[in-house]
Amino acid sequence: TTENNKLCNWMYCENFKEEFRQIIKFEPPLYKQRYQFVKDLVEKYKPKKVADLGCADCSLLWMLKFCSCIEVLAGLDICANVMKEKMHTLSPLPVDYLQPSERSLTVTLHHGSVAHKDPCMLGFDLVTCIELIEHLEESELKKFPEVVFGFMAPSIVVISTPNSEFNCLLPRVMLYRHPDHKFEWSQAEFQSWALETARCYDYSVEFTGVGHPPTGMEKVGFCTQIGVFFRKYPQSAESVQSEKPMEAVYKTVFKAVYPSLKDEKYLQNAVISEVIFTAQIIKHRLMSKRQEYSDDPERKPKFQLSMDCFSEYLGKVVVEKNMEPFVSGNEVYIPLRTIFSFPKVNRLCGTFEKLCKLIAGKVTLSSDGSAVMFNIEHENEEN
Amino acid sequence: MQQGMAGPLRGRRQQQQQHPQQLQQLHVPPAQLEDPGGHRHLHGCETPLQERRPEGLQVSSGLQDMSLRDRGGRRRDFHDLGVNTRQAMVHVQESKTGFSGKMIKLTTNHFRLTSRPQWALYQYHVGYSPEMEARRLRSALLFQHEETIGKTHAFDGSILFLPKKLENKVTELFSRTRNGEDVKITVTLTNELPPTSPTCLQFYNIIFRRLLKMLNLQQIGRNYYNPSDPVSIPNHRLMVWLGFTSSILQYEENIMLCADVSHKVLRGETVLDTMHSLHSQVGEERFRDACAKELIGLIVLTKYNNRTYRIDDIDWDNNPKSTFRKSDGSEMSFVEYYKKQYNIEISDWMQPVLISQMKRKRGNIQGTVALIPELCSLTGLTDKMRNDFNMMKDLAIHTRLPPEQRQRELGRLLNYIQKDDNVQKELRNWGLSFDNKSVSFTGRIVQGEKIFQSGAMFDYNPQFADWTKETRGVPLIRSMPMDSWLLIYTRRNYDVANTLLQSLFKVTPSMGIHMNRPSMIEVDDRTEAYLRVLQQRITPDINIVVCILSSSRKDKYDAIKKYLCTDCPIPSQCVLARTLSKPQTIMTVATKIALQMNCKMGGELWSVEIPLKQVMIVGIDCYHDTVSGKQSIAGFVASLNQSVTRWFSRCVVQSRGQELVDGIKTCLQSALRNWLKWNKSLPSRIFVYRDGVGDGQLNTLVNYEVPQFLDCLKSIGTDYSPRLTVIVVKKRVGARFFAEIGGGLRNPPPGTVVDTVVTRPEWYDFFVVSQTVKNGCVAPTHYNVIYDTSQLKPDHVQRLTYKLCHMYYNWSVSAPAGTACTQHTSICSFMEVEPCCCIALRPLLHTQLSTELCFSCGTSAATNTRHVSPSARPSTECKPVYDVAGGHWSWEVGGFASVLVLCWGYVELFSQTSINNRQYKFYKYADFRALCCSDCMLI
Repeated sequence: TTENNKLCNWMYCENFKEEFRQIIKFEPPLYKQRYQFVKDLVEKYKPKKVADLGCADCSLLWMLKFCSCIEVLAGLDICANVMKEKMHTLSPLPVDYLQPSERSLTVTLHHGSVAHKDPCMLGFDLVTCIELIEHLEESELKKFPEVVFGFMAPSIVVISTPNSEFNCLLPRVMLYRHPDHKFEWSQAEFQSWALETARCYDYSVEFTGVGHPPTGMEKVGFCTQIGVFFRKYPQSAESVQSEKPMEAVYKTVFKAVYPSLKDEKYLQNAVISEVIFTAQIIKHRLMSKRQEYSDDPERKPKFQLSMDCFSEYLGKVVVEKNMEPFVSGNEVYIPLRTIFSFPKVNRLCGTFEKLCKLIAGKVTLSSDGSAVMFNIEHENEEN
Repeated sequence: MQQGMAGPLRGRRQQQQQHPQQLQQLHVPPAQLEDPGGHRHLHGCETPLQERRPEGLQVSSGLQDMSLRDRGGRRRDFHDLGVNTRQAMVHVQESKTGFSGKMIKLTTNHFRLTSRPQWALYQYHVGYSPEMEARRLRSALLFQHEETIGKTHAFDGSILFLPKKLENKVTELFSRTRNGEDVKITVTLTNELPPTSPTCLQFYNIIFRRLLKMLNLQQIGRNYYNPSDPVSIPNHRLMVWLGFTSSILQYEENIMLCADVSHKVLRGETVLDTMHSLHSQVGEERFRDACAKELIGLIVLTKYNNRTYRIDDIDWDNNPKSTFRKSDGSEMSFVEYYKKQYNIEISDWMQPVLISQMKRKRGNIQGTVALIPELCSLTGLTDKMRNDFNMMKDLAIHTRLPPEQRQRELGRLLNYIQKDDNVQKELRNWGLSFDNKSVSFTGRIVQGEKIFQSGAMFDYNPQFADWTKETRGVPLIRSMPMDSWLLIYTRRNYDVANTLLQSLFKVTPSMGIHMNRPSMIEVDDRTEAYLRVLQQRITPDINIVVCILSSSRKDKYDAIKKYLCTDCPIPSQCVLARTLSKPQTIMTVATKIALQMNCKMGGELWSVEIPLKQVMIVGIDCYHDTVSGKQSIAGFVASLNQSVTRWFSRCVVQSRGQELVDGIKTCLQSALRNWLKWNKSLPSRIFVYRDGVGDGQLNTLVNYEVPQFLDCLKSIGTDYSPRLTVIVVKKRVGARFFAEIGGGLRNPPPGTVVDTVVTRPEWYDFFVVSQTVKNGCVAPTHYNVIYDTSQLKPDHVQRLTYKLCHMYYNWSVSAPAGTACTQHTSICSFMEVEPCCCIALRPLLHTQLSTELCFSCGTSAATNTRHVSPSARPSTECKPVYDVAGGHWSWEVGGFASVLVLCWGYVELFSQTSINNRQYKFYKYADFRALCCSDCMLI
């Protein structure tokens, strides 16, 4: 019946071609529409761990690294070279180091086959297989459901593949859309495979696609057909960890750990930096106030103005009696409480105790540890 | 997007550029190349790098995101490869090395690159039938045949490089596109490149940069930095990344990697953060001006891609909600774009938009790029930061590495290279490897020079390259009397003023300077008070005015200088009270002030013995202003006497389209006329020290400028044919030398000459170390003799060059020769240099003078603003001229267009304490001033 279907479809298309001799062009391009589809899915379900099987030149992974819900990204491909080509685009940028983000993110690329099981693929929330299955040899395709649905068992699986019924509308496609394609399925073929797989591994599946057919040709369906699979049973923690002790068969070709404030090292740096910077601002304010009383009459009005704007920018700082910074001899003391009341410091640390803990030993404090201390002996009056 | 140029900034910019350019289509930085209907395995997202230079060469296996042209690729011949000047000079064919001096064992930062015996790079042409347009498609089709071509390859779409020779000269391959089209690919061997060919050298550089990338170093600008171990300086919210500069070149005997440690200063705040704090500091009224002043010209990194942009303007009429036209023609707002493309939410919708002009086509983008302040991180230092002495001091701790530590850091890099499997594999595939020990060789320390002053002669300890102490005991060659002078100070500085006076009385007699008691004037510490006193008290017979300032406040200094340079031209000297407050250094300080004042009044200080007769030394420096226009400025000086103590000077400002050398030619003619007037004959030898030659400009110099010099000499008279030597001076070189002393590495002493191993075989070149540094590594100066009919031995040219290093009057230590001869005493009389700082002033100070003169008719606008409305400035060019006959200073003021603002205040500065070890840099006038002051405080 498959052959029959193909033939019917072919004729139907030929007729259509007679009528509309036009080249179908998708806007935005189809590959972008596929990526956008995945992105939308990520936005909707907010998975933390996402794996892309057949990640090729990592372009989908590159798009996904900007999705703030994702903390673990993994890519798998049978061809290491194609991954290596662009893998550096997945490295953190200078700015990621300068302003470490709240979320943590690890990106890993593995070299291996979807026909093999590797423990590094366990525990994912979303697994995407975009234009993957049609590249699989028959033997690989046979093992594929067991590996993805049986072993990896993520909550969501997305599988996209060409819809062969649409090919007749693509004028230059003779047999398959790409020489490496081992097959291209009709809607019925894909759906029956998907339903069978879903049934077998206790998933539900919804069908959709991207690349709308032209008006009057709705029957051929989407250019790319997509199946979204949802796991019906809840994942139990132990099933991930204990049941499957096994050897790693994939080779890791790339790993990037993004700087994150979740990492104590980066948090500490950020806090120290913010505390000292804030303290400097307060000190500067204090010193210029003192200067006002001294000898520089030219400057006075300017300072008054800048002082007012200053406090406005920094937010309403509640100044209590014991929070006043003060000068004693050659030392300026800026109470930690005052520093903690600044929104940025506050947001970073959360609690005052955390602040004290993070800066301990890294910032010069007063003897009782309640204030940041600066020695101003060697500073000239202008700075 | 609205293209209205209503904003005040935009208005100014248009006036400022001689040919106002309409802002073209605004672009956002691109993320992905539009690639309709692409298949995933063939198409996908473009990396920023590739998009930038899609025509670049692709390099194999994981190297695809590098291209042969790489960053900065527009300067193709960056290392002046292929300019062979030595072959034309017969007398240095055999040898270009000197012989005098004491041997010294040196190591350097050069590492030998070795290749397999009989190594060659094979170049192929790749043709497609039918013709394929897209480069990506071309490479995808070609690399379907990896079994034939091999895994190691470099391909730019038509030229293919392989480390191996294919079986046949012509190889035919057949591929099929995803559309089922059959394509015949013809790979034809076109070239077999020996390891030393220029193409190969270019190729090594690409490979090496690629290796740095494989080591997970981040590319910022041209260099690679290690982000994993930053030094943070929380006091100033700065971060310093350690990185490397690298270049691979053919040196005397080997191809070597010259690697140096580089530091990148990054800032933990966004442009928006900076704007907020500026707003709080200056208030609404001056906010926009303050932003322009602080931000324009800075380099920013964007949050979403690895690119750097320069802020050229701030567009206050637009905000993130404004729309721009995408390459497909659709309109989109910035907010939407960043949300869609990068999932970035822009939180502040009221911020303006930053404008960056693209100098060249980047992929499919040209013209103007709009950036959102919130998404841009600042790099580098602002003017304000450079003025902040404490900040600079904190930075210097991390950035100025002493020799040992510098070599250790480099060793670490080489170690990474040796240890990384991927890197080693890549190198092996190409048949290349690096030595992990730097080369060592022998240099020479030439004999220290004798300093002459008024018949007396003294030696100094060349170890320290400083003869300040020696000068104190001996009269100057020509001292100017201080019969009548003013000393102005505030009440608070009364003691300091007296200390200075007493010290001057102690040091001046032995120098031969006659000094009377000055009129001591006490003023309030206000600018008006200073000016009032100057107006009232300056009379025609006053020799010099000395002001003691209590702080390094720029406005006060500027006002005083402006008045004393323009309204009432008279030599002046400003001194910071702080400088005079340390009893242990006061005598040194006073000596230097005395020397400087003497220079400013037209005196001559000392000289060295010049063995050649009738020799004229010419110094030329150029600055090409790439920031605000296409202007070029040249400073020209020529010696007028045997002892090389009197100088003729001119400044040439050339606008777009004109050749700088035309002006230089005129200068040389006038200089020769002046020489004739003084000496009743023409010089028989002329040495031109030409500075300010950028990378890749050597060819122009050789083929255009030198012939012009010769033309000029011919035009003087048919029977006049002096011997001419043209030497290109370069102070920004990557080479560093280390002396192996007592088992450790030290800076080589001044007078060290290197003319082997690390010089270039096709040039007559040498290095001289002419100064000493207390911290960090000393930078040698590179001298390249590009034309020479002097018939002098290389040794003599080297020694003459070193002698000239002593002729720098502002500072009694040796400085690079270019510096020495391009400075002129007249410069000193206008440009304030605080004493006690080791600074070599460059002829660009002429420009400074010009701008200072502009104040007289100009507005009182903040003097360090880069974006000053040109209309507020007079269109005047001023040339300071030293009237040798009359022995006084005068100005030539002529009509000139508004170019002056564009050449505004650039001063090149040499400072021992400059924070980056590449000690030469163009600083804005303000920075320069600040550094002067901060250096004072170090002493």
